[in-house]
Amino acid sequence: AAMAKLILLWLKCVILYNAVGAVFEDQVGKFDWRQQYVGKVRFSHFDTHVQSSKKVLVATENNVFAALNTRTGELFWRHVDKSGPEGNIDALLHHGQDAILVVGNGRLLRSWDVNVGGLNWEIVLDSGSFQKACLVGQQGTVKNVAVLKKNIISLHYLSNGHQKWIENLPESETVDYQTVYSGGNGEVYALGIVPHSHVVIIAYSTDDGEIIKQISVEAPWLSNIVASCAVIGQGVLICVDSATPSLYMCDLHLDTHDLQMTQIPLQSLGLEVAPDFQPVLVSHQPNSAHQPLSEFFLQLGPDNFLLLQLNNGQIVTLRDFKPVRNLFSILACPGIAVACSINLFSAETGRRLLDTTLIFVMDPNGGKPEKIYIQPFLKKDDSVGYRAMVQTEDHTLTFIQQPGRVMWTREEALSDVVTMEMVDLPLTGTQAELEGEFGKKADGLMSMVFKRLSSQLILLQAWIAHLWKLFYDARKPRSQVKNEVTIENLSRDEFNLQKMMVMVTASGKLFGIDSKTGSILWRHYLEDVPSNAAFKLMVQRTTAHFPHPPQCTLLIKDQDTGLTTLHVFNPIFGKKSHVNPPALPQPILQSFLLPLMDQDYAKVLLLVDDQYKVSAFPSTKNVLQQLQEMASSIFFYLVDSSQGRLSGYRLRTDLSTEQIWEVVIPMEIQRIVSVKGKRPNEHVHSQGRVMGDRSVLYKYLNPNLLAVVTESTDTHQERSFVGIILIDGVTGRIIHEAVQRKARGPVHVVHSENWVVYEYWSTKSRRNEFSVIELYEGMELYNSTVFSSLDRPHAPQVLQQSYIFPSAISTMEATLTEKGITSRHLLIGLPSGGILSLPKMFLDPRRPEIVSEQSREENLIPYAPELMIRTEWFINYNQSISRVRGIHTSPSGLESTCLVVAYGLDIYQTRVYPSKQFDVLKDDYDYMLISSVLLALFFATMISKRLAEVKLLNRAWR
Amino acid sequence: MWHRERIPLLLAFVQSVLVVGWCFTEMEAGPGAAMSTQTNGDRFKIEGRAIVPGVKTQDWVSTARVLVDGEEHVGFLRTDGSFAVNDVPSGSYVVEVVTPTYRFDPVRVDITSKGKMRYARLVNYIKTSEVIRQPYPLQIRSSGPHSYFMKRETWGWTDFLMNPMVMMMVLPLLIIVLLPKVVNTNDPEMRKEMEQSMNMLNPNPELPDVSELMTKLFSGSKGSSKAGSSSKGTRPAAKRR
Repeated sequence: AAMAKLILLWLKCVILYNAVGAVFEDQVGKFDWRQQYVGKVRFSHFDTHVQSSKKVLVATENNVFAALNTRTGELFWRHVDKSGPEGNIDALLHHGQDAILVVGNGRLLRSWDVNVGGLNWEIVLDSGSFQKACLVGQQGTVKNVAVLKKNIISLHYLSNGHQKWIENLPESETVDYQTVYSGGNGEVYALGIVPHSHVVIIAYSTDDGEIIKQISVEAPWLSNIVASCAVIGQGVLICVDSATPSLYMCDLHLDTHDLQMTQIPLQSLGLEVAPDFQPVLVSHQPNSAHQPLSEFFLQLGPDNFLLLQLNNGQIVTLRDFKPVRNLFSILACPGIAVACSINLFSAETGRRLLDTTLIFVMDPNGGKPEKIYIQPFLKKDDSVGYRAMVQTEDHTLTFIQQPGRVMWTREEALSDVVTMEMVDLPLTGTQAELEGEFGKKADGLMSMVFKRLSSQLILLQAWIAHLWKLFYDARKPRSQVKNEVTIENLSRDEFNLQKMMVMVTASGKLFGIDSKTGSILWRHYLEDVPSNAAFKLMVQRTTAHFPHPPQCTLLIKDQDTGLTTLHVFNPIFGKKSHVNPPALPQPILQSFLLPLMDQDYAKVLLLVDDQYKVSAFPSTKNVLQQLQEMASSIFFYLVDSSQGRLSGYRLRTDLSTEQIWEVVIPMEIQRIVSVKGKRPNEHVHSQGRVMGDRSVLYKYLNPNLLAVVTESTDTHQERSFVGIILIDGVTGRIIHEAVQRKARGPVHVVHSENWVVYEYWSTKSRRNEFSVIELYEGMELYNSTVFSSLDRPHAPQVLQQSYIFPSAISTMEATLTEKGITSRHLLIGLPSGGILSLPKMFLDPRRPEIVSEQSREENLIPYAPELMIRTEWFINYNQSISRVRGIHTSPSGLESTCLVVAYGLDIYQTRVYPSKQFDVLKDDYDYMLISSVLLALFFATMISKRLAEVKLLNRAWR
Repeated sequence: MWHRERIPLLLAFVQSVLVVGWCFTEMEAGPGAAMSTQTNGDRFKIEGRAIVPGVKTQDWVSTARVLVDGEEHVGFLRTDGSFAVNDVPSGSYVVEVVTPTYRFDPVRVDITSKGKMRYARLVNYIKTSEVIRQPYPLQIRSSGPHSYFMKRETWGWTDFLMNPMVMMMVLPLLIIVLLPKVVNTNDPEMRKEMEQSMNMLNPNPELPDVSELMTKLFSGSKGSSKAGSSSKGTRPAAKRR
């Protein structure tokens, strides 16, 4: 018996080992891909200290600091800091091999080695809100960095970050110190202002922080130094005033105490300010060890720039740029143009340099250009060449080389994907033709035969064409054969493994990405999307209804006003649909797709406004009629988390609503964190579980079940708790309620089939814990044919178990397959960047503490408090994904295969096989072996037959 | 009839409608709002050093990060492998060095409210009070590269031969081939002995042979009209074999 037990145990180990899917090394990159992003660029510098350097440094609004390859646009390295204001990058200074970052509102000062991508040093600065930082040079070399805060100024060594000196700024309560300047002559200037009164100029000695001089200059017209002043040339502060309108100048180096600002009326220069425009001054300091250039820009109108020069105290106009978009280098956009041209001008003379025009063709589906970064270089013949990196409103980076060749583009909007869907690709023309044949009404035997023959002929033709292409490609060298996917040759593959990923980003740009290769097939930038918009993407019509085009609807909701707009588009081509969505004047509370379809096979979208009135889209007569018939069986729920109220409604035939239940969760004690229903496209294959004694435990499969997660308002670690309430969404009946004491969020929930898995932080034991709730009907089913919330008298049996998880988690989702036969896995995004595929069988409340014969029969794993993280279970091996925000799972045509897309800062697409590939031959299937064995057997039979014949013949002769 | 069809349909609708209704308000209450950090309390620093034996630091530091309690606090590695996570309030934390290539064990670090007594210990989630002291500043040594991949089953002759199925096939074959050579079948004594042992194996000679039984079973449906002659019918078939 002991032996038998051992064998059983061994068998189970084998089963467990096999059940867990992992990646084989040769599968790397075969069906998975990763794209890495950095986010919207805030600061950028070209690495110029080595002539041959190919790096451009970018610091972004997503708190990422990275180096990009200027030839390919790929990442050299990337450092992802904490998200939120604590990782916010305030300033980027670049000198030689070092890049200095000010992080977290002046909390940290970091220096990075640009070549290696490693940290040189990091120091904590004194508290105080950050104003400005600048490099300080002396005698032609830069050795220090100055940091100006609200009330202090400090100087640090570039080599190790150590503080050289720190000084309190005088009168910092009244004076607003805004900027710091160094001209490389051993002095650091802090410029402050008392608005509408005077400017304070303090010069510190670089060596010891001693105040060399302190001057205040009358400037009653000035309110902000940063906006309207600049330091140019040999330390001349120049300001612009729109009221007079005139320029004011004063020399910082003059040592008089009664310093005055000299006024130069703009009229005397023959200039005029555009009405209602605040003029802007821009200066440029190419090397911080030296003075800034004496040439500067003055912007007088939305598209009116002037290049001015300060020459011996006189201001000279060098050039007037009329149709101009941007600064430093000029991006000229004549009117509303499709293409922009970039020209390079000499700063000294204002003349346009020859052969420096660069045409930048704008994407009609993209945004307008916003910023431009120029990398000039000297060509071999000493003429000036340059490359340009253009940033557009839709966060796209385009790198252009003369004369307008696009080297690469980076769609940085994809660093902030909000929601996505995977849409089946359409059938090819021939496939559709075949499908269409079955759809049409029969019109006579002969014509049917002819139709069949013709479609077969078309198929044959397509096959021959395919063979020919294969043959043709085989003759070409391997490198030339490129199976480029374009919108035109998109078609569904035989197992429906290739799909269109429709991704919605926070910036309002939509993307269509081929799931097989990751190439962006279409992009569409939605202008005037509010910055705080919430998005919801719905597939109204799939590709299954040829010839009707597929249709997706994107709901864009302004979270402040609740006003909503709809964008209807074709998910395969990205084009806006001809269908006009209804205008929605009222704020929308809830929206949902009904399984009803109109005569064009588009699912009906219902929108509930704040008057609890319901409107339908599409709202044809047919739809309204169907709605009237169905109204009594359409229920929906609303969540008001600010009031702690959950309420259920029912539709009336006149499309008004009536409330049928309400659950109020007391706001003083706990608040609703999230409400999770089940996914509508989920299938459950088996109704129950077979127990060890061959009886069946039936699952409680209520499709209307909602999991409501609450957190306590009291965050004290002894009293905080996490609650989970299971509510039937139709009747409002509370099915189950569980409370996890001494726990707090963030809570991650997955709700599927008959189980809810959630994760929380246990404050008592300081660890992350998983808990699983499973619901069972019992040993017999009440009504096995159909489920109705209104007729289910028995409360389900509830089983629950909790486990320790040895890591924090970022997000969680369950795998999803076509028919639900395949066992389920949980996909868990970890902060380390891995995506763990954890079999659901580890989270099973029936895991026994004491192993019995029956539990062994059922294949239950004995209970162990700690769940393991095995790196073999990482579906993305070493392709870590930063800041995973969501995981999207989608079934494929193969039951064994589930398509997975994880998105966050990066995007990763792969396939998972939770029960291994049981319905297709494995990709390591040994065709050679099987065919050689067959051949060998064949020959063996031939030979033995011959031998047998010879033997028989011999015997007959004997 | 129409009604009967409709009821399950209706119920199906009830099923799906609710599930589709996914609330918009849910988005507003993000889970991120749960954490509150004190900004006025004292902040401390966790220091340490990560070592990958036998690998130059330049080769891996650019992909590494130090995570304190998930992503609550983030630190970066210096070019020499040392790190410092600044701005950490007092408490107990799990410090982890994360790289895609090398594995580091997490360490728990406790910082008292005065920030003075900080000590490090191995992470034990089950017995949370157990303390196994670790040096501080932390010395985190990599325990080797991550193993992400499963080994493919490779095909070899030895695997094939040692397979129990193959063994089961090959051994009887050997016996069949070799036994007649070893044992002289012409010896009458031997033959007698073998016949005896055969009888032992098949104690009841009246019982029909298994193969005959099978053929009877399959041809039974056809040959039931000619009952009794079935055994005759199977003979030629057996012979042909």
